[in-house]
Amino acid sequence: MLNINKTLENATMTFALEGRLDTVTAPELEQELHDLPENVTELIFDLAKLEYISSAGLRVLLSAQKSMNVRGKMIVRNVNEVVAEIFEVTCFTDILTIE
Amino acid sequence: MTTDQNKTTAVIKLTGRIDSNNNAQVEQEIRERLSAAGDPGSAVFDVSDLEYISSAGLRVILRIRKTVPDLKIINASPEVYEILDMTGFTEMMKVEKAYRVVSVEGCEVIGEGFNGKVYRIDKDNVVKTYKNANALAGIMHEREVARLALILGVPTAISYDIVRVGDSYGSVFELLNATSFSKILAREPERYDFCVREYVNMLKKVHSISVPEGKLPRIKEHELKSARRIRDRLPDGMGDKLIKMIEDIPESDHMVHGDYHTKNIVVADGEVLLIDMDTLSVGHPIFELVHMYNAYVGFSEYDPQIVLNFQGFSADVARRFWHDSLAAYLGTNDEQVIKDVEDKVRVISYANLLDWSARHSDPSDPATAPTQALWKRELIALMERLDTLVFSVDNGCSAPAELTLPATVDNLPRVMDFIGDRIAAAGLSPKFITQLELAAEEIFVNIANYAYTPYTGNATVRLILSGEPGSIRTVELTFIDSGKPYDPLKKADPDVSLSAEERRIGGLGIFMAKKVTDDIKYEYSNGQNVLTLIKQVH
Repeated sequence: MLNINKTLENATMTFALEGRLDTVTAPELEQELHDLPENVTELIFDLAKLEYISSAGLRVLLSAQKSMNVRGKMIVRNVNEVVAEIFEVTCFTDILTIE
Repeated sequence: MTTDQNKTTAVIKLTGRIDSNNNAQVEQEIRERLSAAGDPGSAVFDVSDLEYISSAGLRVILRIRKTVPDLKIINASPEVYEILDMTGFTEMMKVEKAYRVVSVEGCEVIGEGFNGKVYRIDKDNVVKTYKNANALAGIMHEREVARLALILGVPTAISYDIVRVGDSYGSVFELLNATSFSKILAREPERYDFCVREYVNMLKKVHSISVPEGKLPRIKEHELKSARRIRDRLPDGMGDKLIKMIEDIPESDHMVHGDYHTKNIVVADGEVLLIDMDTLSVGHPIFELVHMYNAYVGFSEYDPQIVLNFQGFSADVARRFWHDSLAAYLGTNDEQVIKDVEDKVRVISYANLLDWSARHSDPSDPATAPTQALWKRELIALMERLDTLVFSVDNGCSAPAELTLPATVDNLPRVMDFIGDRIAAAGLSPKFITQLELAAEEIFVNIANYAYTPYTGNATVRLILSGEPGSIRTVELTFIDSGKPYDPLKKADPDVSLSAEERRIGGLGIFMAKKVTDDIKYEYSNGQNVLTLIKQVH
């Protein structure tokens, strides 16, 4: 189960993720990214309530990062311990902008 | 032609040649024999000495069949069987092939059980003989359950031939350089630890297998029968309490061997095999432990010489082996926990032994009465202080399990639920569980996406948790599929030092699985990819 709570403020879109970002749910987030309004130049991921992320989730984050590098910027916020460790072993800490 | 008759079936021996020269005469003789036998509704033609039968002879059998509808042909030689097969007789009536005759005279006895002996007939082959009257049915049953066990993943030997041994039958097994664990324990005491470890590994493996409904008998029913038979020999009310306590043991569809002692575990050509499958059943592991206790301790509790005669090692070794195996099986060194389980096991053990002894012991043997008295005394003492036989050990060993399901990404949540359920009670940290799930997801998704493409096949997930809280605990999570041979460990790790632009999307899964586990093993065997994740918490 994954809930994606979207908040759009001017050119900033915030995705607050809740639940599990895995092989089953990652396509939902991929769709949201695909549907991202063209004027959005800043994308924020709030991961405070994200319990789990697998490589399928990382793939979506990586492709979002690539796309936002062209359009503007992407920030990842409120990373909890479980997710932080996965970012670390995969060196996503070096790729993502984590606040 | 000779006739042997019992009440309902005439057994008629057909000999020599039956062709157009003598068919009328043979038919008349058969009819006379049947008439002398009171024209029974069924007859058996024993064709062991029949050399040849022509179509004229076959027509005789067809005509006889009109008046004797239940007609069976036995002991058909390969030549006669071929004729009967080609002409369609094997589909019209029961035709049994002749069994090869094997003599076991002078052969080494390598095993002896309650139902018969096992002889080595040459370097690589053994024959198991059966004492009971209905040997053929016993052989067929064992063959069937051994096949089932093999398909479900138990390494075992299946007999490849049925032979005549004297007046009875035997089944032939190929066992290359087989040595039983009993022999190893008797002759090579330095391999004691190896025996305990492999013995318990095999036990856990058997108990982890869930068996489709109706394929195997329920062992609980068997033990309940014993308890019912001895009920009236216990003090007032105690017999009923015993039956109730056994009834209250939870049902289980997991496999138990039913006679799991060291004579039935062999090393053959370096591989550990489980043999003697005729008692294979399903049920709670306590019933398995009952028969283990009996084999090592129960039977010889009065006379320690019994275990030495039966197993070849002393009663001290037997008791130590039982204790150490139980401890390893339960995954604990806590003597109190072990004792509690042992006491519950002993209740059913004594009920089983008393029932067995009443039916099989020689009453004139001076040891019989004191042995029974000892078992009864112990049973009563246990019954006076125990109210339940149910035990649970939260290490996953008491109820190991596996899940088999179609390998599709949609089934990922089921795999996660299975893992969560298996380890929920173990008190592991959320981080540990998340990491285990992470690795499991990568492996399962890999199977779902690649193993059977473009088709779909099954994957089996098996989880074994060992170790007690406070010590090193190990989770072994195994994934099995029958898809294309693929070793994911051979794939090179992605370069995680690259920038976002340079990094490829994907390729991370197996890398992550490696990072969050202690070890991953892969093997391809018996047409299956077997990948095991090992994760420890210290």
